[in-house]
Amino acid sequence: MTDAARNFIETYERERAALPGAGLAWLAACRADALKAFAEAGLPHRRLEDWRYTDLARALEKATLSPAPQPQGAVALPDAAARPSIAAFHGIDRHVAVFVNGRLQSDLALELPHGVTLVPLAEALGEPWVRQLVETKVATQAGNVIALNTALMRDGLGLHVARGVKLDKPLHLIFLATDDGASHVRVLVRLEEGAEATIFETHVDAGARSYFVDQVTDVSLAEGATLAHVKIQDEGAEAIHLASLTAVLGAAAKLSSFSLTLGAKLSRSQSFVTFKGEGGEAHVNGATALAGSQHGDHFCMMDHAVPQCASSTLFKTVLDGASTGVFQGNVMVRPDAQKADGRQMSNALLLSRDASMNAKPELEIYADDVQCAHGSTIGELNRDAIFFLRARGIDEHTARQLLISAFLDESFETVPHEAAREDLRALAAGWFERHQEKTS
Amino acid sequence: MLEIKNLHANVNGKEILKGIDLTVEAGTVHAIMGPNGSGKSTLSYVLAGREGYEVTQGSVTYKGRDLLAMNVDERAAAGVFLAFQYPIEIPGVTTMTFLKTALNAQRKARGEDELDAPRFLKLVREKSKPLNVSDDMLKRALNVGFSGGEKKRAEILQMALLEPSLAILDETDSGLDIDALKVVAEGVNSLRSPERAMIVITHYQRLLDHIVPDVVHVLSKGRIVRTGGKELAGELERTGYAEFAA
Repeated sequence: MTDAARNFIETYERERAALPGAGLAWLAACRADALKAFAEAGLPHRRLEDWRYTDLARALEKATLSPAPQPQGAVALPDAAARPSIAAFHGIDRHVAVFVNGRLQSDLALELPHGVTLVPLAEALGEPWVRQLVETKVATQAGNVIALNTALMRDGLGLHVARGVKLDKPLHLIFLATDDGASHVRVLVRLEEGAEATIFETHVDAGARSYFVDQVTDVSLAEGATLAHVKIQDEGAEAIHLASLTAVLGAAAKLSSFSLTLGAKLSRSQSFVTFKGEGGEAHVNGATALAGSQHGDHFCMMDHAVPQCASSTLFKTVLDGASTGVFQGNVMVRPDAQKADGRQMSNALLLSRDASMNAKPELEIYADDVQCAHGSTIGELNRDAIFFLRARGIDEHTARQLLISAFLDESFETVPHEAAREDLRALAAGWFERHQEKTS
Repeated sequence: MLEIKNLHANVNGKEILKGIDLTVEAGTVHAIMGPNGSGKSTLSYVLAGREGYEVTQGSVTYKGRDLLAMNVDERAAAGVFLAFQYPIEIPGVTTMTFLKTALNAQRKARGEDELDAPRFLKLVREKSKPLNVSDDMLKRALNVGFSGGEKKRAEILQMALLEPSLAILDETDSGLDIDALKVVAEGVNSLRSPERAMIVITHYQRLLDHIVPDVVHVLSKGRIVRTGGKELAGELERTGYAEFAA
């Protein structure tokens, strides 16, 4: 066992009585099971197929893994000019909840529509729907480290939207890191029949250096429910960011999840989508721009367990310096899942000779009447295109920026919220500007 | 306007241009004809400044400046325009965005103010109409999925918008049917002016029936081997390039 894994186990032993929901017997059993599963599996390493390109165990060796402290006093926000991510979505009318070091700072006394419940994790854990969401999954969640989160989850929130109700404005979750250490956040979402919600997420460092973010978001969508999720990950240069999204979709439910990945030394963003009712639709997409020695991994599992569901995955990755990108996707079409429509695409653009991309799109099909397609491209900026643009008077820097923005744009097009889409575009364009300043 | 002296150029280490001398005055249209492999496209790329086209000898003076010392986008901003034989597809960049970026980049390089959206839109509409360039085409990614005719019309629209001093048209007739050819030729003719020079590169006489040149040159094996009036084009159409071929 690695020191990092031992560290987590010790944290559990030391703090379990103080973790939220400590009085709930089911939860205590659940956490204990999860810890046991985690202790047996250990932290993922590269000999595991799903972790072939990302050595989380090794990355955590050097990280500060003691629990990140409750922040003291006012938080000094980073300058928006230097870290524009901090200002993303601010022009949009929205509900805001702020976490610092993984601890909820907002009182959640928001003016929410009737039928919308938003509560801190400790309170949410008392809800039957939360128990169902958390309890049923432990057995399968050792290998993907969700078990670690289940054992150690310390804060987070629960969002419940009643049947037919629409959350009037996007809920924006802002995660700031001011101090080094590990945080284990759990976000639980249940949308009842026909309910709708949009969730934005921003992750930015605000003073912390070596820290570990472990976040799990569990989503359960009842028949005809719709969830849009837009995330910006712009953690600090020494941070390790591990995010897992699990989603179970009922009949005709719709999930759209998008993540823009700009930050962290090492990040792994994993999505596990399961269709439980016919006519479901899930889109998990993303854009990534990395430089230096950054490492960004996107892992996406689409499980077509029932007929007539559609899934699509589109990841666009721009890599400069000696950065590394990873895309691993799996579309599983089970024997009964006829008329499944599964699409998967990873496109990467390498701006430097030292950058590398690993792509492993997989289809696993056991039904015979399906439409599935997958593909992967890894390339450089088209020199002919740069010449063409320059021959029209556009300088080389602008030409490159135009082509990079154009490359990413197809993924931004998938974001259903227009204003959010524009913010993402601006952040990507800004990344290129700031990044060029640094290298030139 | 343009003075080329003893121009030699290599591509992949092989000498393609072997001593070109050519003087083009403002207000004139020069046609350069020649068989395949004679160096026509190489000449156009050397003038535009494409990488991989290495000038080994000679000089090119444009409006009194050393053209070869300028980089690609400086040449464009100074008024040199190359209409490509094969316009490049730029996925994700709409024709409109591209046109605006190019025009404003050139205006900025020349110290002029950038056009705002309404002024730009008005200008594009005005220039698009005679070329049958629809709003739909302007909204599509540049050259992506364009037909041969659409690509060439888009090239001429760029030229009309950027108003170059020296336009080099490289095989602008290739891939065009007669109707498309007429639209393109009319577009080019409407841009003829006493301040502007054009070099029309073509394999066939056909284009020159519609864009009538003042001077015709025959390029063969990297050299200009004959120069004459517009009637030379007709003569070549009858006799072919056999006498100039390798």
